[in-house]
This record gives sequence, C-alpha cells and structure tokens, in this order.
Amino acid sequence: MKYLSLLFSGIMLCSFVGTAAAQDRQDECYACHASMEDDASQAFATDVHRNGGLTCASCHGGDASLDDMDEGMSSARGFKGVPAGKAISATCGGCHDDKERMGALGFDGTTGQLTALRNSAHSRGSGATASPLMECTHCHGAHGIRPARDPASRVSRRNVVALCSSCHDNPRYMQQYNPSLPTDQLAKYRTSVHGQRNARGDSRAAACPDCHMAHEIRPASAASSSVNAMNIPMTCGKCHGDAKYMEPYGIPTNQLALFRGSVHGKSLLEKRDVSAPSCNDCHGNHGAAPPNVESIGNVCGTCHALNAELFRASRHAVEFEKAGYPECETCHGNHDVRPATAELLALGAGSLCGSCHSTENAPEGFRAAKVMHVLLDSLRNTVALAERRIDDAEQKGMEIEDVRFSLRDARQARLQARTAVHAFSVEKFSEVLDPGLLIARQALIDAEAANDDYYFRRSGLAIATLIITVTVILLFLYIRRIEQQQRSRKQAVS
Amino acid sequence: MELFTSLRGWLDERVDLEGLAALARKKTVPSHRHSIWYYFGGVTLFLFIIQVCSGILLLFYYRPGEDTAFESIRFLMSKVQFGWLMRSIHSWSANLMVLAAAIHMFSVFLTKAYRKPREITWVSGVLLFYLTLAFGFSGYLLPWNELAFFATKVGTDIAGSVPFVGGAMLELLRGGEQVTGATLSRFFGFHVALFPAIFTVLLAVHLIMVQRQGMSTPIGHEKSSEETPMPFFPNFVLRDVLLWLIVLNILAVLAVFFPWELGVKADPFAAAPAGITPEWYFLFMFQVLKLLPSHVLFLEGEVFGVLVFGIAMALWTVIPFFDRKSQRGQQGRFFTYVGIAVIVFILFFTILGWVML
Repeated sequence: MKYLSLLFSGIMLCSFVGTAAAQDRQDECYACHASMEDDASQAFATDVHRNGGLTCASCHGGDASLDDMDEGMSSARGFKGVPAGKAISATCGGCHDDKERMGALGFDGTTGQLTALRNSAHSRGSGATASPLMECTHCHGAHGIRPARDPASRVSRRNVVALCSSCHDNPRYMQQYNPSLPTDQLAKYRTSVHGQRNARGDSRAAACPDCHMAHEIRPASAASSSVNAMNIPMTCGKCHGDAKYMEPYGIPTNQLALFRGSVHGKSLLEKRDVSAPSCNDCHGNHGAAPPNVESIGNVCGTCHALNAELFRASRHAVEFEKAGYPECETCHGNHDVRPATAELLALGAGSLCGSCHSTENAPEGFRAAKVMHVLLDSLRNTVALAERRIDDAEQKGMEIEDVRFSLRDARQARLQARTAVHAFSVEKFSEVLDPGLLIARQALIDAEAANDDYYFRRSGLAIATLIITVTVILLFLYIRRIEQQQRSRKQAVS
Repeated sequence: MELFTSLRGWLDERVDLEGLAALARKKTVPSHRHSIWYYFGGVTLFLFIIQVCSGILLLFYYRPGEDTAFESIRFLMSKVQFGWLMRSIHSWSANLMVLAAAIHMFSVFLTKAYRKPREITWVSGVLLFYLTLAFGFSGYLLPWNELAFFATKVGTDIAGSVPFVGGAMLELLRGGEQVTGATLSRFFGFHVALFPAIFTVLLAVHLIMVQRQGMSTPIGHEKSSEETPMPFFPNFVLRDVLLWLIVLNILAVLAVFFPWELGVKADPFAAAPAGITPEWYFLFMFQVLKLLPSHVLFLEGEVFGVLVFGIAMALWTVIPFFDRKSQRGQQGRFFTYVGIAVIVFILFFTILGWVML
C-alpha cells in the first residue's frame, strides 16, 4: 500500500511538474474523449485545471501521452479510473492541500481546503460506511471547474446561494441528515439586504460562504464556527468594519467597535455570556436587515419584554411616536448600549433625562426623574453598606448568612425598579423599590447588631476569664495554705 | 446552720455520710515526679461532662434531617441567645476531650499503669477512647455541611473496604448505599443514644475500678510514694478543680476567638470540594492510607491499611496481657519503645497530613 501511494505520488508529481513541457505534450485521453463528445470532455474543455496544463491523467492516473489506450490506461501506468468516495477529495487535496505543490504550479492562493472540509459539518460521517457527507465535486463539479471569481463558476457569489440551497432548501433531503435544521434560509436571504443586492448582481454583497466559510463550515453550536454567537460580531465585522470595502454603500463602519464597548458586547465577548445578543439577534440571520424605527421596540422587547411592555403603556410611547423617535434607541443607543445605571436618570450635564426635561420646560418629568434617581441611589448605597457590614461581621466569625441571603431580595427589587423606570411613574416605581429599601435597611440593622454582638462577646469573655482567673489564683493560694498547714501538723506530730 | 446540721444528720442516718467522709479522709493519691499525668483522666471527665451539658442544650434546637439539620444549626447560631457559644463550646470541648483522653491513655501506657491488677481499667479506658473517636466521627456529620458530608463519605468508604464485613458495615453506617438523610438520622441516633449508653456503662466500670484500686504508682516509684502520699480530699480534688477551671478558661477563649464555623450546606449532587480531610485525630490514618501503594502483598493497599489499623487497635486494647514483665512488677523497655514508636508514628503522619493539605 505504502509503495502504491509512493508510486501514485510520483506519477502525480511527474504529471504536474515541468508545465511548459506538459502543455506541449498532447493529452491523448482528452483527444480521444473529445472525439466522442462525451459530457466529461466537453466540460473539461473550459476547466481551470486544463487551462493550467493538467491532463485527465492528473486525476485519473495513467499516462496521457500514450496513444495506446490499453497501455495508457493500464495499472502499470498508474491508472485508477474514476475516483469514488473519500478518494475524490483526496485526489483534489493532493494538490490543493499542499502549499508547496500549488506554489510550484504557480498558484499563490489559499490552500488547505481539504483539511478545512474534513473539519466541517459536511464531512460528518454518513451511513454504514461512515463516509463523509460531501466531497469537493459536490460543490465544484468534476470537469467544468472554474475559479470562484469567475461569475460563471458554480461557487461564485452569484451562483453559490443557489448551489447551497439545492440541498439546504430541500426539507426532505435535509431531514436525512439534520431534521432540526431550518430549510428557509434561501427565502429569508432573498428578503435581506445582502440577498437583494446579490440578486441584483452585486458581487460584493455577502453570500453563504462569506458568513459560513467556504470549506470549514461548522454548526453554529461549535465554538470554532464562524457563526457561533461569540464569533458572529467578528464575522459581520469582517466586511462591516472595513471602511474601504463598505465605501460604495455609504453606511457607517464603526458598529463592531461600538458593539465591543457596549453592555451587550462586553457580556458576550469579555464575559463569554452566550445569552447576550450578538449581531444576528437584533438584525436577523439570513434575513439580515437593519430594524426600522417602528420595529426597534419589538427587537429589544424580545429580551427586555417587561421594559418594552411598561414603555408602551407609558406617556413616552405616545410622545416618541409623535416626534418620530425610535423607542429604545433614543435613550439607550443601538450598537453602543451602555449599562443602565441610575446615572441615566440624573439631571446634571450629560445626563439622559436632563437632556429633555428641565425645571422650566417639563417640571413634572424633571421631578419624577429626580425622585427615581435619588431612590435608586439610596437603595444601591444601602445594599452596598449592608454588604460591607455583613462582610465585617463574617470576618469576625459571626454567623450572618441569613441576613446576606435576605439582601438578595433587595437586589432583586433594585433590578425590578430599574425595569419599572420604563413606566415613567414615581408611584409605580416606588411600589417596586420600597420593599427592597425596607429589606436593605433591616439587613443593615441586623449586620450592625451582629458587629455589636461580637464586641459584647469579647467583653463577656473578658469578664468571665477574669472571674475564672481570680478563682484559680484564690484556689491555688488556698491549696498552698492547707498543704502548709498539713506539713506543719505532720512536723508537730513527728 | 442548725437546719444544715439536722439535714446532714437526716442524710447520715440513711446513706452513712460519715462513712463516706471517713473513706475520703483515708483515701490518698501517690505522690512522685510523674503525678502530673494523674490529672488528665480528671480533665477528660470534666470535658465529657461539658459535652453532655452542652449537647443537651444543643438538642433543644437541633432537628436531624436533610432539610432541617443545617438550618436548625444556623438558626441556633444566629438567632438563639448564646446558641453560638453552646455550639462552639461543644465542638471545641470535643476536640480537647480527644486530646486529653489521648494524653491520659499514652501516659498510662508509658507509666505501665495498665499492669496487674488494673487490666480491666485499661481495657475499659481504651474502649472509652475508641468510643470518644466514634462520638467525634458521628457528631461531625450532624450539622450536614459540605465538609462533614464528604469527610463522612470518605470515612464510611474506608469502613466499607474492610474484607468480608465491609459491605455490611457500610450499609449499617449509611443506612443505604450512599450518604443521605438516612445516614444523618443514623449518626444522630448513634451520637445521642447508643454511644452515650455504652459510654456510661464503660465509664462507670472505669471509675469504679479506679476508686477501688486507687492510682497506680509507676514501677520504681513505689517507695517514694509511700513516704509522701497526697490526701485525695481535699488536696487532689482541689488541684483537679484548679486544672478544670484553667481548661474552662481555655475553652471559653477558643469558643469566642475561634468560633466553630458552619460552612456551606451539604449538596449530595455537588462535586467534592478540594482539600477534604477528616478531623485532626483521624488525619494520621487518612495520610497513611493515602500513601500506601495500590497493592500490598495480595491485598489492595487501602484494605491492607484498614486491616493493619484494626489489628493494631485490637492488640493495643489487650496489651496488658502481653506485657509479662510489668505484671511481675519489673521494668521492661520493649513496651515502652512500642508506646514511643506509636506516638512518633501518629505525630509524624498527623504533621505530614497537615503539611500536605
């Protein structure tokens, strides 16, 4: 087997090197098949490999220079016929996975496609033989292969969507391999900005391989997948963060930078919290499009449901609609959503509420924002103080776990109060916040009591120790006295 | 005063107080340079009394059960007036009792006080010591916290590795295959009913024998003690009380400055936290079992270790019957060396276990 492989490699190498000489030499296989006008030879006529000097023997083995068919297609000449199964991709990979060989053929493009394919979801074992689901020819074809940049290529941006959809748009076919995978990607893609531009012939608009990769396609659940939640911002940012590439479209290219600094970006990319939204959670996946003014509230409300519900019932919803302001974005921004701290309610310079409300133009809103800000701050400070005092007590060895546990309710109330802000009503806000404030205050009182109790214990110990020590000394003196008396009596007797 | 005299007369007629007083006046304790060791028996007894009293107070609040044990101790420590003190005293006193009992046992061994006619006192004393360890082991689980849960799991696993009877012992100790609420109920029963009952009987035998036979004088010191015997009452009793008060003081300082922590509630489904070790008095056994190779002779290392410890403990209990020289009142060095070797072995592996935590 080893020798056969060596022989095969030798023959392949001999077939590829010395391109000038090879081009001069006639491809007898092709000449014969072309005379028969079979499909393979007709397709091979325009194949990028033929144009590059490769012959039929490059893939099928044998000796293409011999006009004697029997000898040229003999096993002695290394003929192996039509590759099947894994041998198909192994044949392609013999060159395309070998950087040096591709370099020798004058090709300076990407190599490693076979390795990438074997690491992809498409190479998952299928059937009793566990052979890979797909080989190179499934996408690229066998004989009429054209470079991806050629618009006529099956894998060009224009055609690749149809190529992928030939399987992924077919529920019955996909059911055999992954019944849970949706099959509406093409329909959604056609509604997206990418899809519409692609349909209009824009060769720069993203097609399937731009997001999913061409060869190393992995399921979104895989951490290394380009469409895994953690990697999506970088996948989208590859184009949307490239000012030069995006120049013809006239849209901003700072989304990725802004997202990285946002509360969502930090949760996803720094804390590795996959429940945080990535680009596709707001814009959609295959049907990617920017949410419009009317739909922003719905998009944010998918996760922040309570906030959206309270907002829609509030006075702001009406006023925003009149003014044509997008719901959530007006206060929180879009890609650069900042943590919703109580400072957003502050009324000083650079604050949020204060940017519209002032004592003169909207005194009612000004007051409401001020009260909510003060109450939220008060709860936060009380909880923080209680935590510090609980820490102090625990460091002193006091058992105060139940008090610490009770603080969870205060924190929960603060969280709910931050949501209740979206009702923009002090009354509703207080209903949520006040119980939390009471709990936090009680926790602070209990923690202080525990700290006081610690000092009480020390004082008690000092008094008890003093009493015991004095008793010990007195007892010692008493023992000494009676033993002296006993010795005196004994001496008197003797 | 008159009332006291008449009350004393009333009692004297019925229980012969004067006879008891005469006995107390007559009773003496040998006095020599090793007399200090006599007091550790009394200290152990004092700590046992503290254990009983604090244990009864803890019983007022403790509720055995997977869902109640931890919570009841937390309630006791945070809400009950001086509940924290009772638990700390109980825990510290338990540890000091093991230490005092060990010192008492080894001092008796090295002074050969187990020799004829005190074999029964020795056997009952050693059994009391083993029972003290069992008290410690069973009590450790009762708060149902994480450390106790996993230490009990490891401890009962070791018991389960005993050949032939290990499986049955494991089942008996745990009340099932795993450490569960059933184990907790069982350990509670052992701790507050079974062990105290056995302990009381053994303690009675031990004390009666001590009172009947008096303190043993080390071989070679008999003559000097005849010269200066110490009256049991009041001299020895008062010295005992003096030491008890000092121990009480130490106990109070430990309980206040180093209150016994409750830790985290046991979660049978959680992974064992790092650094699970038994109580310090089991550490040397744990360390030896850890260091044993996987196989010794034809036995698994752990099984071999458990067997050796079991045999050693049994031999230790009946050692007076092997030490023929001391029975004849002769100084023999072999058993002294055995005692010293055992102490060095225990100290070495305890320190090693501590360092390797």
